[in-house]
Amino acid sequence: MAEIAGDEAPTPPPPISGEVSTDPYTSIPASTGSNNPPLRTTKPGVKRLILTASVLLSFLVGLPFLLKSTEIHRSPLPSDAITGLAHRLHSAPPSFPCGLHAVFLRSVPDRSDASLTRRLEQSISAQLQLLPATSTAGNVSVSVTVESAGGCSSSSSSNVDSGWQCGTVTSADLVIGDEVFDELLHSALGSGRGDGSRVYTVVVVEVDDAEGMRVVVGKHRHAWVVGKADEVKAVSVIGKVFAKYFMNGGIEEGEAGIGKGEFMPVGSDGNVVLSFSLLNADPSDWVYDWDFEKIGERMLNPVVEALRPIAEINIESQVLYHTPKSSYSYSDDKLGGNVLSMGDIPFFVNSNEWHLDTSTSATGRSKVLQFVVYIPSARECPLYLQLPDGRLSKTNAFISPMWGGVLIWNPPDCSLDSKKTHGTRKKMSSQELMETIEIFIGQLRQLFGLKPSYLSQDMDMPTKFVVSEKGFTEWELDLLYRHHACSNLLSCLTTLESLSSLVRSLPRMIVMDEIGRQVELSLEAANLAQGNATLGISDSSAVHATRARALAEDAFFHPSIMSISYASIEHYFAIYMPFFAPVSLHVLLAAIKELKRYKAERAKYSAFLASQATSS
Amino acid sequence: MAFGRRSPRSSRHPPALAIVTALLLAFLFSAAASSTDAMHNNNWAVLVCTSRFWFNYRHMANTLSLYRTVKRLGIPDERIILMLADDMACNPRNSYPAQVFNNENHQLNLYGDNVEVDYRGYEVTVENFLRVLTGRHESAVPRSKRVLSDEGSHILLYMTGHGGDEFLKFQDSEELQSHDLADAVKQMKEKHRFKELLIMVDTCQAATLFSQLQSPGVLAIGSSMKGENSYSHHLDSDIGVSVVDRFTYYTLAFFEKLNMYSNASLNSLFTSYNPSMLMSTAYYRMDLYERPLNEVPVTNFFGSVMKTLHTDSAYTGFLAAHDYATPLSVGDNLDDHFMLKDRSTPRRSNIEKEAQLTPHGWTEVLLEQLEGKNTDTVVMYGLGGMGILLALSTWLSM
Repeated sequence: MAEIAGDEAPTPPPPISGEVSTDPYTSIPASTGSNNPPLRTTKPGVKRLILTASVLLSFLVGLPFLLKSTEIHRSPLPSDAITGLAHRLHSAPPSFPCGLHAVFLRSVPDRSDASLTRRLEQSISAQLQLLPATSTAGNVSVSVTVESAGGCSSSSSSNVDSGWQCGTVTSADLVIGDEVFDELLHSALGSGRGDGSRVYTVVVVEVDDAEGMRVVVGKHRHAWVVGKADEVKAVSVIGKVFAKYFMNGGIEEGEAGIGKGEFMPVGSDGNVVLSFSLLNADPSDWVYDWDFEKIGERMLNPVVEALRPIAEINIESQVLYHTPKSSYSYSDDKLGGNVLSMGDIPFFVNSNEWHLDTSTSATGRSKVLQFVVYIPSARECPLYLQLPDGRLSKTNAFISPMWGGVLIWNPPDCSLDSKKTHGTRKKMSSQELMETIEIFIGQLRQLFGLKPSYLSQDMDMPTKFVVSEKGFTEWELDLLYRHHACSNLLSCLTTLESLSSLVRSLPRMIVMDEIGRQVELSLEAANLAQGNATLGISDSSAVHATRARALAEDAFFHPSIMSISYASIEHYFAIYMPFFAPVSLHVLLAAIKELKRYKAERAKYSAFLASQATSS
Repeated sequence: MAFGRRSPRSSRHPPALAIVTALLLAFLFSAAASSTDAMHNNNWAVLVCTSRFWFNYRHMANTLSLYRTVKRLGIPDERIILMLADDMACNPRNSYPAQVFNNENHQLNLYGDNVEVDYRGYEVTVENFLRVLTGRHESAVPRSKRVLSDEGSHILLYMTGHGGDEFLKFQDSEELQSHDLADAVKQMKEKHRFKELLIMVDTCQAATLFSQLQSPGVLAIGSSMKGENSYSHHLDSDIGVSVVDRFTYYTLAFFEKLNMYSNASLNSLFTSYNPSMLMSTAYYRMDLYERPLNEVPVTNFFGSVMKTLHTDSAYTGFLAAHDYATPLSVGDNLDDHFMLKDRSTPRRSNIEKEAQLTPHGWTEVLLEQLEGKNTDTVVMYGLGGMGILLALSTWLSM
């Protein structure tokens, strides 16, 4: 306790309770005399009071600064914007409206009038109602144009405008060949308008001297049907082509294909690395090299460009040696070689010896797809894949979803096992390499959920599909963009929701500014994606949806969110208590004591003044 | 052990909130239906040994034995995260350098060939372990140190070391608590980082470590229950320490009989533990796991699976379409080389044209002079001229 020194008469210090206790040696009633009650003749000084009070005051003034400087920095997350987006996406799942335009090229000079077009339009719409709807496509608006020698009339009830100019294409143009006719139709349809919803056109060309109908699906957004048929048949073919191919990519209901999670091999940051490896199983027999850099990259460039809205693709290639397979093949003389059955295939990839994952450009969250060419050793060469029904595979290739694909390539001098070529260095010829790349393109299509090609389809009428140099036709790309945009939007939303609930559940977790910024950018991109989806623009919607998902994942997986290192409120007290508690206790008590002492002295002085007043 | 907890809200306001929660659940199911349909694509293994010092040799041997088993059954190194808190193979007290055994007969060297340790020594911390599980790494962490699983992955998580009631000791200096583990698993489930998860714990009072788990799709087995210790199997008098724990020893005895084609079920594994041999009760919880254990083969977690689809045909016509779009001939390398050059020469000539746009007068004269001459002779002339100039200048300066 602070000692009271000074010029007063040595009196015992006043007790803390504040009341004047009857002290044994000064137990004198205050009213008796003027010498005994403790009086002071001078005004009590305030210096000490001001000193202690100022120290206490500085502590009190500094307290808000302390609290502010030690508060947890939490960047505010726009959680109401997130819930708004959730409402919008759940009430109206993203769907892309598209249009179907049917064009009838008639040879007979029929009077084409509005009633015919309207009737056709209604029957096509009715046909589309019967067929199963897809999850991603929204409203389909139908319009019909009938063109004949007598004139050209189109239905004007809906505003589907595919840019068809009457009279540019006639049935006589069919002789130029399918690919050229495809390009002709493409230019006639006002090629490539990127804004607005996508319009798919089916042209029915009536040719008198044809037996049955033939369907050709082009590589842009149109198809044509050649033949002689009545209206009902034509309408059903149009509906089937539109629903089965343009909307669903040839995948039937329940079949594994586009739309399921394992057929979207894109990393969460929107990057994919395609890693092409040439595997020499036994280099002592032969060593093969390939010219992938020039040929492969050139052939794959259009594919990379076509898939750019949904994934940023990098291509790498390597040659590996001493890479035997880990399943067993048996020799079959009837088929002329060694045979692997489909049951052995899951064990084919020998992960212990095949060091495939050596990519330097793949970051932590990108996806790597391995495309492997396996060259068997002399012992097991030629190696064929046998399908469950006993036939040999034409391609000798298989894929594993989300992993990549393997192709077994038997070197050309395989069957000449009489002369042993020890470790000769050979190069895969360009022709072989290009054919291999064709198979890889088929596998890439399979990995993305489409069929590798439509050759082996069973259809009720001969159908031909024009092949695109981009690996995917434009209507297939539309399909991919739609699916990826929808799924990326939903995944972005779930990530943002779980991030926001995580941040709310840990009230003392630091949320850095970067996370808040990423969430805002992600919401902005998601809103743009949804807006574009309602307009039907699939490619920019896919771009924005991929970006939204990448930003949301960046925010969720930010390395600063680690739940163990958060200071609970007890932790906070435990840190600051030893610093401030003893000091503040002393300061507070000193101030209180000073105040009481001052009050007591004031009382003495005022008593003295009173006694002076009474005595004088 | 509390397996299900009712949310506190519903007990307070039953009628209205029940309807709301039912609607929310309906939304969740419809939204999450696609994720529960994901196929089993690949297997991952995270094997963690948390103790250091020479007398904890057996924990290292436990982890390495399981690493060897899992590799033998087919999981590749790129899908295994091996965390060893100390180095026994190159420990100065190891009289068999670079060799780690799990049996006193020294038949099997666990540290033989092809061991890839992802986190070693002091990198094995609770923070790194949780980062591995949740995936929240710094951007510079290489892919080989991350669990790159997706929604079709089955993950095996094996932890061994010293543990106690609701905790596991890491490196003698920190602890992993059971609620931290449960939290990490919950976050993994939210981000669909696994389809199914099998947790095996070989420590004292192991079953308490997974007592707080609530996420669906998780199966957990521990070597002992609360209040029980887990014991080592035998002492190797040559090395001087115990070389394996009982739970892991009997697990390995089960797996040595299997190869990657076999389909023994998880039920047979879990029921193969004999409490009198283990000297503790191996406890497992399957309340969060929907499939019955006798239908799940052990290779679903311990081996490798690859779903494969045959590629029916190539994208025939791609070459022709490519040639049609970009006029190139399908020939051998020489033709391709010429084609490349032809395509690049228009570009190069454009650049050259731009460079030659402003020729100075004297360079034109010089170029004309140099038109017909051999470059070597020009160089000789130039060098000779320089030598003469040099001699002249030195003579003049003297």
